[in-house]
Parts: sequence; structure tokens; C-alpha cells
Amino acid sequence: MPTVDTIAAVATAPGRGGVGIVRVSGPLAREIAQALTGGKLTPRSAVYCDFQDADGEALDRGIAIRFEEPQSLTGEDVLELQGHGGPVVLDMLLERVLSLGARRAEPGEFTQRAFVNGKMDLAQAEAVLDLVNSATRQAARGALRSLSGAFSKRVHGIERELLELRVFCEGAIDFPDEEIDFLSESDVGERLEAVRNHLSALRADARQGALLQDGLNVVIAGAPNVGKSSLLNRLSGEDRAIVTNVPGTTRDTLDADFDLDGMPVRVVDTAGLRETGDAVETEGVNRARRAMAMADVILWVVDDRDTSGDIGEKPRARGMTDATATTIVARNKADLSGRTTGRLSPGVVRISALTGDGIDALAKEIQHAAGYRAGEGMFTARARHLDALASAGEALAAAAERLGANQGELVAEDLREAHEHLGLIVGRVSPDDLLGEIFASFCIGK
Amino acid sequence: MTLHSETYDVIVVGGGHAGTEAALAAARTGARTLLLTQSIETLGQMSCNPAIGGIGKSHLVREIDAMGGAMALATDAAGIQFRTLNASKGPAVRATRAQADRTLYRNAIRGMLEAQENLAIFQQSVVDIDIRKGRVEGVLTAMGLAFSAPAVVLTTGTFLGGRIHIGLESHAGGRAGDPASNALAARLRALPFAVDRLKTGTPPRIAGDTVDFARMQPQWGDEPCPTMSFISDGSEHPRQVACHIAATNAKTHRIIRSGLDRSPMYAGEIEGVGPRYCPSIEDKVVRFADRSSHQIFVEPEGLDTHELYPNGISTSLPFEVQFALVRSIEGFGQARITRPGYAIEYDFFDPRGLEPSLETKAVSGLYFAGQINGTTGYEEAAAQGLLAGLNAARKVAGSDPWTPQRHEAYLGVLVDDLVTLGTNEPYRMFSSRAEYRLRLRQDNADLRLTPVVREFGLVDADRWRRFEAKRDAIGRANAALRATPLAPGGELCLRLEARCGEAVAKETNLLDYLKRPAVTAADLVAVHAVDADIPALALEQAEIQAKYDGYIKRQDREIAKVRAQESVVLPAGLDYGCIEGLSNELKEKLSLARPATLARASRIPGITPAALSLLLIHAKRLAGRPDGSAPAGAESEPIGERAARRTA
Ligand SMILES: Nc1nc2c(ncn2[C@@H]2O[C@H](COP(=O)(O)OP(=O)(O)OP(=O)(O)O)[C@@H](O)[C@H]2O)c(=O)[nH]1
Ligand SMILES: [Mg+2]
Repeated sequence: MPTVDTIAAVATAPGRGGVGIVRVSGPLAREIAQALTGGKLTPRSAVYCDFQDADGEALDRGIAIRFEEPQSLTGEDVLELQGHGGPVVLDMLLERVLSLGARRAEPGEFTQRAFVNGKMDLAQAEAVLDLVNSATRQAARGALRSLSGAFSKRVHGIERELLELRVFCEGAIDFPDEEIDFLSESDVGERLEAVRNHLSALRADARQGALLQDGLNVVIAGAPNVGKSSLLNRLSGEDRAIVTNVPGTTRDTLDADFDLDGMPVRVVDTAGLRETGDAVETEGVNRARRAMAMADVILWVVDDRDTSGDIGEKPRARGMTDATATTIVARNKADLSGRTTGRLSPGVVRISALTGDGIDALAKEIQHAAGYRAGEGMFTARARHLDALASAGEALAAAAERLGANQGELVAEDLREAHEHLGLIVGRVSPDDLLGEIFASFCIGK
Repeated sequence: MTLHSETYDVIVVGGGHAGTEAALAAARTGARTLLLTQSIETLGQMSCNPAIGGIGKSHLVREIDAMGGAMALATDAAGIQFRTLNASKGPAVRATRAQADRTLYRNAIRGMLEAQENLAIFQQSVVDIDIRKGRVEGVLTAMGLAFSAPAVVLTTGTFLGGRIHIGLESHAGGRAGDPASNALAARLRALPFAVDRLKTGTPPRIAGDTVDFARMQPQWGDEPCPTMSFISDGSEHPRQVACHIAATNAKTHRIIRSGLDRSPMYAGEIEGVGPRYCPSIEDKVVRFADRSSHQIFVEPEGLDTHELYPNGISTSLPFEVQFALVRSIEGFGQARITRPGYAIEYDFFDPRGLEPSLETKAVSGLYFAGQINGTTGYEEAAAQGLLAGLNAARKVAGSDPWTPQRHEAYLGVLVDDLVTLGTNEPYRMFSSRAEYRLRLRQDNADLRLTPVVREFGLVDADRWRRFEAKRDAIGRANAALRATPLAPGGELCLRLEARCGEAVAKETNLLDYLKRPAVTAADLVAVHAVDADIPALALEQAEIQAKYDGYIKRQDREIAKVRAQESVVLPAGLDYGCIEGLSNELKEKLSLARPATLARASRIPGITPAALSLLLIHAKRLAGRPDGSAPAGAESEPIGERAARRTA
């Protein structure tokens, strides 16, 4: 498939410190490189330079490398910007790239393009599918969280107003012979004004972040009494969950928020997974499974002293869950087993929730799991929604400008575009749905 | 040699609007074509209201005309009242509507059919289709005559399994008194097509000499009188007459409510789904109970008949209720009904079983066009007919099928909607269905389509000559406008600023100046800014193109994206059920629609960017199989299960 648009994303884990990379791929990569660095980059050679904003001021200073198709990661023109600034500067850099015509990458999109452009062989296809699968699920979960509550309500409200406005505009165009007063021009103007006001108020609130709490969702799971609740308390630094030596202590899911080196994390404690006749505990186990299905990362806790064969295996392999989240095995109670704590292999860490030994290694492993996703567009659900709101706002502004000029079909076109953008958040309204809305509201037809 | 021993290239079954355009198109390309109709007298019959065109619909008629079809020319020869709709809005949404004299229209169509080379017409109803090994071989008629051809276009409209309802009485029948094709319907139901029922209705017809027109509001056509065809000049039009506007009242609504218990719709006799946009009068009264009156367009059926078509009171109430409700209407106090209104239910085939060429996926060489595909309207039928006839002929000639894309024609929108989404009500064109309607105008249908289909043999020399003249004139107009500089303070500039009130801040040219909303081509002519020898029509085109330029450029990006997706073919054997990551709902929808390309998949409601990513990767993976083949079993896939019936 010939590429027509250029995508961009932050390709490193969110968090403070270290180097951050913004990656750009597509036909605009070269132009964007020129605009950002003010010079021509020789392909495949790193240049240390300023990254400039629209006024030519330096946003950050770092290394830029340009690759030409097909000799690149994705098989397209690629630009990589390695900056030193923290997450805020990195975000500004990405915004700058987007303002130059790129669009925020979908989950897994870099990998997908690499595959489509033949940069991977067929044997890798399965792996690519897995990655895109889990990246899209991850994004879908992120979108769900971002779409919960007040934000969603307000977007839906605005979408509804816009739909009603379009019912009048499209109705006036498609049914000029009906004896229906599809609103006089001034009424359309008032309605349009109202939608625009509601939209900009929402954008202002959303930018402050109050409406969109999005963080890494880490779920602690495992057999009863292995130390899950102890780990929750350890990670969050609070005495949040009840800890006893009675298996089956935790009945309901319980969560705590903490900040992992700049990355917001919500950690969820769950009931120990086992078959039981206790109705309350059974419900707790069901809730635990649901929580696992929503997880970005599962911390699978086992007792380090347990030597039964399948103990180290991940819950999915053991048939405990069909959740596809990245899983980290935490071998707990190292103080009792007497073995050394720390990272044993990728995705396996030995810890002691009681003493805190090995917790740093576990935190690193969580960051790593998040970073693996980040390159594929994690944490972008909120950003994408804001992009969509901004584009909708622009289209509505254009509609308002056309309104006076007796160009109903152009106003309708701008409204359609605005609606398409909102559709990216709340689901697209098809032309047939719109017609249905017209027929339901007005008696049309001879 | 007797007819039944002859072999044709293309056989068209049905002589309605789809059938006649199909036969004409196939024959124009040079295919030896046979048109089989139940009755030669009803070729080109308008079985519903005597009007052609309207928003979205006249766009289709213009496209048919641009491709050398008959409908626009016949309308110009038969139209007795023409109006331009949306005249106060922009050119993209302007449309033409004509009232037609039924007899003149039929005569015009029949004349064109008889004059067409390579086309034979034969009166016989078809009872069977000869299918062997998944390929069509010909048809069998009621008399037992066999006609063979490698391509057959079926355009049997509402005749298939037709059932007419008036009150609680019902009987088998096609529209306008024609017999239903039940033998053929039974035969087709046995084939692997998904069949469903639709319904539509007509109003009672009224004798004009019993109507008091003085009590109604007359509505005359527009002056100057518009034309449908690009190659008409208005001299083809017969005498023009007025329509009238009447209205229902509180008494009418009381009568209707009192008869509801004997309405087949409300008594549950009808299972087919009627259109949302064309409700019966009883539906309107029930659903919009707060309205005290509904408008009725009283349309003349022709110049030498009194009969009237009261558009707006389609009904299947018992005759005595129809009689009373008609008489309650102002002006109809003494009116006599000439034919009762009725609802008709008929079979249609889920169009998702069709290729975009309108060939059925299940039977090679068999094409469906018109109401059989779930559409309504003469224009929708005729446009499909033309396309099916063309593609049938192309298949026989060994050429690739052709279908315009959504950004190229309303016909492209129509076909794509049908084969991708299917329909559960009679599908009618509206301009809001066309996301690229700013470029799909009735004024440029020829520019969009004529050069393309000329390659297929659809366009004759005369039309082509006129087309070239128009195209060249537009080219000259654009060049002249672009070449005329406009400098601030210049003499021409001052004249224009004075006339349009639009200041020129920095040096520009006439074409860019014309992009401004307040500036019109007429202004340029008025101040003598352009050569007098540039035709007004060409100048008007240049103006329209300039006005929409910004929007059309913006859409170009969108179209490029769709094009890219269009190039990704989804293999016929793709097993959607096995694609991990797709929701069950999407799996089901995709399995039913079996979209041919990624672009088509993208238009299925509920599809997400993530789902498209998955489809793309699966498609690439399948395409990369060593033998390049789809998995076994692809051929035996069912077309789709019987679409779930919606209860009314
Ligand atoms: N020595 C030692 N004891 C631990 C450690 N972690 C947890 N424990 C103890 O193990 C017991 C169970 O701990 P919890 O944190 O309640 O275990 P849980 O997995 O939440 O148990 P349920 O909620 O019943 O499923 C308690 O007595 C804890 O003090 C550890 O690292 N070392
Ligand atoms: Mg616990």
C-alpha cells in the first residue's frame, strides 16, 4: 500500500531523565527534518543540532538522523530526533512535528509499516500480528479509560448537538421541496456558535488534564497468600491493603496510584485465584479475572519457595486467564527462601515484599514493559482525542466563516468534516444514520 | 433460422428502466444483445409517479446521459414541467426535476431501442435461467424457447414474488397491473442468493376532470426551461403544464385513523420493510400526529390524459377509506378515483452478493440490476442497468469490468453502498450519501465520465464532438482568466472593485479573484474583463471550479488515502472468524459483506483503525503465501445467510 501520510510518535518510555526519541516515518520526513534542524541532513549520519520551533527558537538540542527509503526501519523515509529534555520537552517536540503535517501514529503502526514494506519476512508476521494485537488492545483500554466519565459525556453531548445541526443543513439540501422550515440561517448560526463554545470549553478543560486521567494499569495477581497485598503496599508506599497470613484475605479488588519515575501508575490488588465454595471469595476471583483482562501489565506473584513444576510459568500459559497484557513474574518471599533478589531473566524478578529487596529491579521491569509499548503508541489515546477535538474545532470555525456567504453546501461540508473528527472519539455516524435522524425528526416524503 | 436457435452475447431480462439501459449499453459496445420483456407495450414504463430527477437522482440521470444512455434524452422528449431544485444554493447540490408524460416517455424509449443496432427485442416471460457449473448459459421462456448467451442481466424489478395489498385483501401481482414472475422467483430462491422482502406503495390515481383546480395552488416550471441531457437545448420539450399543490386536513386524518384497523401494515399483514423517506399517508398521520396537514403534489400523468398522480398520499387502506380520504381534500370534493392505491411487497436479493460490476458472486456471467438489488427509483435502476449491461458486454469481450469510484460518480456511491453495506429498506439516492458531492455535480457529469466510457464504445460521434467543444472552451476560459493579471490600482481592478466590492490587496489574476464568494463570472462579463467569444457555459464552469477549488484540494488527500486502501485486495478466502483481535460483531459483518478491498472494509459501520490494521496485515500475509493462493474452501463459501428480517 503506497503510504500517503506521515506518522510520528515518542519512541521511548515516558518518564523523567535519559534520552527521549521522537520517530517520524513517511513522505514528509525530509521536509520536517529541514524545518526542524534548518539544514539538510545527510542520510544515515547523526548531526548534533538545535531542534527549532516555528519561530526558529531552540526547543531542545540533540541528535537528528535521517534515513531514506527503503533503507530504514519502516522502509519509508524516517527521521529520528534524540533529545535530552524531559517528557514535557519531548511532547513539545512531537507537537512541533505534528504541526508540520505528520499525524500521531496508531498503536503498532511503525511495525506494521515495516511489515507491509517488506522489512520483515513472513516468519515474523505472527510476531507482528501479536504486537499489533496487543498494542491495539492496550490502546483500546487506554481509550476506554480516557473515555470514561465526564469527558465522554461531554464529547457525546457535543456530537449530539453537531448531529442536530447537520440534520438541518443536510435536510435543507436534500429536501428543498418539503414544506419544512429547516431553520432560518440565523438559527443555524446560533446553534453553530453553541457547539463551538462547548467544544472550546471542553478542550480547555481537557488540556488541564483534569478530565483525562490516563496511567499504566498494573494488576497484581496470583494464588492466595503469596504476598500480593504486601506488594501493593510496598509499591504504593502506603498501608493500603490488609495483610494477614490467612489465605483468601483479599476479597475485592483494591487500587492505589503512584508515580513511577514520572510515569503515572495505577496498581490493582486482587483476590488470590483458587476454586472455592465461598460465594464472596468466588465473586472476588471473578473480579480478579476481569481486572486482569483490563491490565496493561500483570504482576504474577508466586512464592519463591514453591518448587512445583509450572510455578514460574505465566498465568496465560497456565490457562489461568486469557488476558494478553505483558506479564512479569514476581518470585516473592526471597527472605524466606534465602536466595538473592533481582532480575533473573526478562520478565522474571525475585523480590521480598516484606523487606523491600528487589523492588527497584521490579520497578525497572515495569518501566521496561511500559516502554516496549510506548514506542508503539501507548499513552496516546488522550493525545489522539485532543487532536481530534482540535481538528473538529478548526472545521467548525471554517463553517462559521462560510455561514454568511450563502454557501450552504460548503457549510455542510465543513460540518461533515468536524463530525468525522468527533467520530474518531465516539464512533462514526454514517450518512445513513444521518438520514435516519432526518426522517425521524421530520415528516419527509411524498 | 428461428430465434430460439440463436445465440447472443448478452441477454437482458426485463424492459423497465434498468433493462432498457442495460440492453442499450450492451448493444452500443457492439455486443449482440437480446432484450426479453413480458410486454413490448410497457417498455420504458413509469410504474410509479410520472417524474424523473430530484436531488441526487438528476445527478444519476446526468451521469447516465454522460455515458450515452437514454433516460435524459427521453425525459427531455417527454417532460411537461421542469424545475431546478436548490437554485438558491451552490451548483454542487442543484438538481433538475421533470414531470413526464408517460406515453411520450415510453415512446421515446421504445424509439431508441428500435433504432439501436445490435439489439433484438422479444416478448416472452422468462421462467428459468440456465446455469451450469456455476456459469450462466442462457434463459428459458414460458413457451419453452431457449436462448443462450454467456452473459445474462436480470432486471425484473418488483415482479419477483410480487404481492399486492389493498386493505386486508391481497393477491399476487407485479406493479401497474403486470403479472408477477413467480416461476422465476421460485427458481431464483433455490439459488444461493440471500433473499429478503421489501415493500413500497402508490396513491390512488384521480380523474382530472373531477378535480377543482381553482382550489389548489398551481406550480409552474422554471423559465428558462432546464434540460436533462447535455445535448438537448430545450427544443425537444413538448408543451409545458402546471402541477398543483393540495393538502390533507384534520378531517382527512380522522378518516385515516378510523381505517387503521384495516390497514395491512398495522394489522401485521405485510412483512417487507418500507422506506423511511416515503411513508404512506397512514404512516405520516400516525408517526407525526402533531401535524394537522400534509402536502400533496398533484402531478399530471400526461398531456392527453386527465389522470392525476396525487404524490404524498400513497396508501394501502381499504378502497372505501381511500375514497373518503380523497374526497375530504380541498379540491378533491367530487374527485373520482381511477385506480386504487396499494402496497406491493416483493423479493430482492441482498446486493452484498454482488461484485461492484453487478455480476453475482455465485453465478459467473449473471448480473442483477435495479429494484431486484433493493433500490427504488427509475434513476437508480437505470444507472445500474447501464453499468450491468456494459460489464456484461465487457465480460463477453474478455475485458476487465469497470465501476466508477465514490469520488467519480453518484453511480459509484450507489454501487459501493449496495455491495458493501447492503440495504434493509428500498435504497434511494440522496446527495448526503455522497461524501464527495462537491465534485459530483450534475453540471460536470460529462467531464467526469464521458471520456472514460468513450473508450468502452458507449459514446457516439455526435456526443463526443459536442463534448470536446465544451471541454476545449472550458480550457480556454481557464487559461484566459489565469492569464489576465489584476494589479491593485489598475484600471480593470478599479472597475471590478467598484462592481463587486472586493478589494485587491496584492497582484493576482482573474481566476484567483473569481474564487472569492462575492465575485461571479457575470461580474467579469459585465465589466468586460473577459473576451466576449468565450461561451457563457465555459465561464460558468471555470467559476464553479474556482469556487470549490480549496475544498476539492482538501478532499484530494482523503481520496488518495482511500485509493491506497483500494489497492489492498482482501482475498476471497480470508477467514474473518479466525482473526484474533476483531470483535465478534465485526467478524460477522465482514463475513457477510466479504469486502473486496481494504477501502470497502473501511466503510463498514463500526470498523476501527485498529481492525483495518489487522486486515491489512492478514491480507499481506495471505498475499505472501508461497503459492499466492487463498486457503482451500474459498469457492464453497455461502454468499451469506438470509438477512435478518426486520419486523415493521
Ligand atoms: N517473610 C515474608 N513474608 C511475606 C512476604 N510477603 C508477604 N508475606 C506474608 O505472607 C502472608 C500473606 O501476605 P498477603 O500480602 O496478605 O498475601 P496475599 O497474596 O495478598 O493473600 P490473599 O489476599 O489471601 O490472596 C502475610 O503473613 C505476609 O506477611 C515476604 O516477602 N516475606
Ligand atoms: Mg491479599
